[in-house]
Amino acid sequence: MDSKNNSAYASLQELVKHHIESFDYFVDEGLEKALMAIRPVHIVDPITGSKLKIFLEKPCLYPPTRNGRLGEPIFPAECRQAKSTYRADFKIDVGFQYDGGAVIREKISFGNVPIMLMSKLCHLRGFAPQKLVHHKEEASEVGGYFICKGLERLSRTLMIQKRNYPMSVVRQSFIGRGFGFSNKAVGIRCVREDQSCVGLTLYYLHNGSPRVGFRIAGREYLLPVGLVLKALIETTDYEISVSLSCCYNEKYRKDKGAVGAPLIRERARTILDDIEFRTRNQCLEHIGILFRPALSKFDAESDTFVGEAVLRDYILVHLNNNHEKFNLLIFMLQKLFALVDQNAAPDNVDALQNMEVLLIGRIMTIYLKEKLEEWLLKAKRQITDEMNKKAKDFEFRNLGIIKKIASRLASGVGKSIESMIKVGRLPTFFGLELPQREGLTILAERLNYLRFISHFRSVHRGSSFAKMRTTAVRKLLPESWGFLCPVHTPDGTPCGLLNHMTSPCRVSSCYDINGQLKDFLKIRMSILAVLIALGMTPLLPRLEHTGPPEVLHVLLDGCVVGFIASAKVEKAVMHLRSLKVALSSGIPDDLEVGFVPSSEGGAYPGLYLATSPSRLIRPVRNISCTLDQNANIEFIGPFEQAFMEISCPDGGNGGRREFFPETHEEIHPTGMLSVVANLTPWSDHNQSPRNMYQCQMAKQTMGFSGQALQFRADIKTYHLQTPQSPIVRTASYGKFCQDEFPIGTNAIVAVLAYSGYDMEDAMILNKSAVERGLFRGHIYQTETIDLENKKNGTEKVLEIFSRGLDASKSLIDSDGLPFVGQTIHPNEPKYCTYNALSSSFSTCKLKGSESVTVDYVAIDGSISKKYIQKVNIRTRRVRNPMIGDKFSSRHGQKGVCSQLWPDIDMPFSSVTGMRPDLIINPHAFPSRMTIGMLLESIAAKGGSLHGQFVDATPFSSSIRKEGSEKSSEKSSLIDEIGPMLTSHGFNYHGVEVLYSGVLGTEMKCEIFMGPVYYQRLRHMVSDKFQVRSTGTVDQITRQPVGGGGAEVAFVLERWSVIPF
Amino acid sequence: MEGVSYQRFPKIKIREMKDDYMKFELRETDASMANALRRVMIAEVPTIAIDLVEIEANSSVLNDEFIAHRLGLIPLVSDDAMGMRFSRDCDACDGDGQCEYCSVEFHLNVRCDSDQTLDVTSNDLRSTEPRVIPVDVAARSLASESGGFDSPDQRGIIIVKLRRGQELRLRAIARKGIGKDHAKWSPAATVTFMYEPEIHINEELMETLTLDEKTTWIESSPTKVFDIDPNTYQVRVVDPEAYTYDEEVIKKAEAMGKPGLVEIYAKEDSFIFTVESTGAIKSYQMVINAIEILKQKLDAVRLQDTEEADIGELTQHLGRGL
Repeated sequence: MDSKNNSAYASLQELVKHHIESFDYFVDEGLEKALMAIRPVHIVDPITGSKLKIFLEKPCLYPPTRNGRLGEPIFPAECRQAKSTYRADFKIDVGFQYDGGAVIREKISFGNVPIMLMSKLCHLRGFAPQKLVHHKEEASEVGGYFICKGLERLSRTLMIQKRNYPMSVVRQSFIGRGFGFSNKAVGIRCVREDQSCVGLTLYYLHNGSPRVGFRIAGREYLLPVGLVLKALIETTDYEISVSLSCCYNEKYRKDKGAVGAPLIRERARTILDDIEFRTRNQCLEHIGILFRPALSKFDAESDTFVGEAVLRDYILVHLNNNHEKFNLLIFMLQKLFALVDQNAAPDNVDALQNMEVLLIGRIMTIYLKEKLEEWLLKAKRQITDEMNKKAKDFEFRNLGIIKKIASRLASGVGKSIESMIKVGRLPTFFGLELPQREGLTILAERLNYLRFISHFRSVHRGSSFAKMRTTAVRKLLPESWGFLCPVHTPDGTPCGLLNHMTSPCRVSSCYDINGQLKDFLKIRMSILAVLIALGMTPLLPRLEHTGPPEVLHVLLDGCVVGFIASAKVEKAVMHLRSLKVALSSGIPDDLEVGFVPSSEGGAYPGLYLATSPSRLIRPVRNISCTLDQNANIEFIGPFEQAFMEISCPDGGNGGRREFFPETHEEIHPTGMLSVVANLTPWSDHNQSPRNMYQCQMAKQTMGFSGQALQFRADIKTYHLQTPQSPIVRTASYGKFCQDEFPIGTNAIVAVLAYSGYDMEDAMILNKSAVERGLFRGHIYQTETIDLENKKNGTEKVLEIFSRGLDASKSLIDSDGLPFVGQTIHPNEPKYCTYNALSSSFSTCKLKGSESVTVDYVAIDGSISKKYIQKVNIRTRRVRNPMIGDKFSSRHGQKGVCSQLWPDIDMPFSSVTGMRPDLIINPHAFPSRMTIGMLLESIAAKGGSLHGQFVDATPFSSSIRKEGSEKSSEKSSLIDEIGPMLTSHGFNYHGVEVLYSGVLGTEMKCEIFMGPVYYQRLRHMVSDKFQVRSTGTVDQITRQPVGGGGAEVAFVLERWSVIPF
Repeated sequence: MEGVSYQRFPKIKIREMKDDYMKFELRETDASMANALRRVMIAEVPTIAIDLVEIEANSSVLNDEFIAHRLGLIPLVSDDAMGMRFSRDCDACDGDGQCEYCSVEFHLNVRCDSDQTLDVTSNDLRSTEPRVIPVDVAARSLASESGGFDSPDQRGIIIVKLRRGQELRLRAIARKGIGKDHAKWSPAATVTFMYEPEIHINEELMETLTLDEKTTWIESSPTKVFDIDPNTYQVRVVDPEAYTYDEEVIKKAEAMGKPGLVEIYAKEDSFIFTVESTGAIKSYQMVINAIEILKQKLDAVRLQDTEEADIGELTQHLGRGL
């Protein structure tokens, strides 16, 4: 993607950017890094003693092609139609080396890997809207998903623990780990550069000697922390003792019950006394002996080597240097002791502050790595098997045979990646430290565009939390302000677990603003240089350090880099922030400057800097730096946000003290809402649950799902025939190009109790309005019929489409397929096939009780040139509004149509002669308090009279107030809209006098009438009703007894029956 | 039963009359009569509209049902509709609805061969009966005859847009129908009536108001009903019919502490009708047709009257009910 994206759909592209960037990372760097981390395999011929080394190099992922032929690009639209996968060849240079001799490289194909749309390898990348349309896509196509067997799937964004940040946790389950364990621990999730991760937990034992816990192949191993400390570097007991106790200075903690340095020194002694080894070598050897059985791959190495390997591969793996590991472990111990001594509060594992997201690029990278490792081991096993069998044609030195064996299983790697994306399941033996192995991908439903785009913005807490009884994880915590939308979460089981990112929220990535891969090493070096210039004391040369509150630790990406004096830290933070905002400072704009100040029993203090990808970030305005208004947008993360002073235009000062002036400002209060929640007009005037319902209902609305409908082969699509652009709209409506995908109609709504058919959320539709096209819609269904693999028992049979002699020619064409535009009634033939084995024709008839119209027939010609074997038949069903269909306004006011009332019976206005399209009951308002809907009605009326759209952005009054010096403070919205109405001879408050359509007499009440944007929901009786003419019925109600279908029907019908 | 006659003789006074718009007074009758007239105009005055579409070729972006629906909603000149037969009552074709007495055939055959988007409009509809054509086409031919005066939009009613290579070919049958069956047969865009208001200003009380108060009181009405005489500074009624029965002025008077400043009644027996036609038939023809249909309906009831048994049964039924 271009660095400066000026396309009309740039704001939509931003919404899915994190998916695309994550996949791009997988292509650009992840693959290579994963291959580098894979250890070569050595095979030894026991007879000749010659050695073969197999290793992997240079991954190569090509753009998708048709049947793997180069120069024949395949486009996504074709994959959707053919129900195939949009995938590319994946090849790796496999190196073979005999006895350290010359390396022979061979490109082996590892199958196909699905390619994300609009990623670097996608053909559509960078296409202009017109070109996209030419390739049968939406003009606004943003990509970010895969096409697997014709279905659009995208990764489920999961929330996981923040990487490389030691977190103190109190959990009862720790006690059960073993004898003497307390409930306190400090855990860290270390992520290597190749994105694989290994966790490490420091458990506190009641005897004062913590245990280091880490997992190897899913099993947790525990080591005394002293052993690890001593094994990491050559150190002395004194050094460890001093390092640990430096954070406790008697000068500050003299009050009763405070923990002093002597106690800490005592603790250090316990830690050291816990082990009987003195030197580093002894410790390493001990670890080596302990772990040799757990690690199978070190048969010939020494114990020390194994010990070092354990430290390298399982202890704080994000650091490459043992000194750094040692320092971090000391830091973690200090944090643990602070937690134990209640000097610091535990971190909340459920708070967004301590979380980041898991994206597809990482999952693919680590899964591919595991699969390739598996393949290497398998290849080795097969070669040794062949060797042991002493097969005649096998020759160890013959590379051709070796290659043949090796490439035999290679395509399975690609297949497993594809199946992972297709079903979202990741069958792995080791777990890969992933929070869940199922449900990693979801289907991107295109019911309407809001639903589609919401998939990309959703973040899930993890499926394991869904089963938990406690509600703690579902809580809406203040930490998630501005990152997760408080309104847009479903009600029911996933409530609070499935959240949606706010519209300005982004995810930090491996790409900088210019689209170049970030060089994290360089970034870290420049940050270090800045820090030292700001007064940070580096760790080396080693000095005796003091601890907080005098000086604070500085951690950069989970590495202790130095100490900074408390007095200097605030200035340093300010300076870092101004460098973040400034371009070309070498400091990335998404650097997280988490400054936790010293406090009594608060979070453990320190300056925590993070440059890592996959953190949530959002833009705010930095008002403390002196730059001009437009260039002061700073990206902040959830961790630093908790300790920042950000003012929100609508929020007042919220208890902010004078000595903590605000340094940042929200760009707009609507930044706290998701894309969907942002589209609700005047949501600030509604009761909040109503806005939540609207977020749900907007995603169930039957609207314009897409403009490329003609070229799509979705299993089921809903399509509204006569949509309109809402008169009352928010600023986001235009920003997110919603006019491309309208989801409703401006209906003239009268609020009155008329005829009794509008009780309990039932609503009356004007029959004539419906006949003129109001809310008319279609359901498009595509059926794919594949005769290629038809089998008769075990035998493969050739079956093709062809019309039999007896088949009715009026319905089926000579090729055995229906005519396009033909209406097929139930039990009429749909298509006709010929079976070559039995040489008989068979017709498939239309099931169900509803007739359909054939919309489109597509033949897949790629299978066989001679016969037609695979077709898509798209049919459409008319869904005109009828009794029992569900509608809703944009304010969580849903209703079921109870009557299609004749136009002449509808109330009419004597002035304009207008009859409403829709009548709702006034009782829908008092308890639900959806004032926004009333406002919308008045505003839309004023807007339509003046011929202009009305801006209904929530919280806009708070912004305006500042501009106009509180002059219009008193004026309410009504005072703005009212004069618009009176200038056209309408009532100030939007009410009108109506006459009964039946009697022609005036109704003695004022009736609220105006246009409200109504949505038609996809729940329609025609799809749900079930009729039963016989069977047991209830004596009183005459309703059928029991049976799932009857109950569903009853719920819908209840509303229609109630007036009686 | 006998004796007093409640028969009245309603009067109509036409105020304004155009082809598609009409305003008239209906006096000396009651709301039931006025409403019946309104309802008949909307729902029971017959017109001709496309009812059956046979699509031969459609490669446009809109589906067949959508195009058929759009065709149905095109208003056709229906001056002959009253004399036409309903297809269901047609003897000539046995209800087939395809004979000359009850139907008009249309053809549409358009193909786009240029790079420009082609609008298929009501102009492209070819009628077999020259008197039944889309109303906008008729209006345009009329306008061109009279010398381009007041030329309406030249484009016609758009049915669908075609790109290069797309084609629409169909045969459509227009039939007579009424708005009750489908809104496309309704000749009325708007039919509404209001009770004529009777406004009495309490002049004595009014004089107690200052000029400013008078102005604010007048301005409280969203429509211009009252005015101040520039010479006498008296409040006068300029347009009583602009009053919408919103009672804003009464509420305002009460808010000003002057209840009874004005009294407004609705005259129970005079109505002001506003009729707007879709163009299918002329607005005045619509009124006449409506009265004709109303008469036919009443005749139908009177014919049943002669059968004594029925009326006896009815009185018996009513008597028991009372």
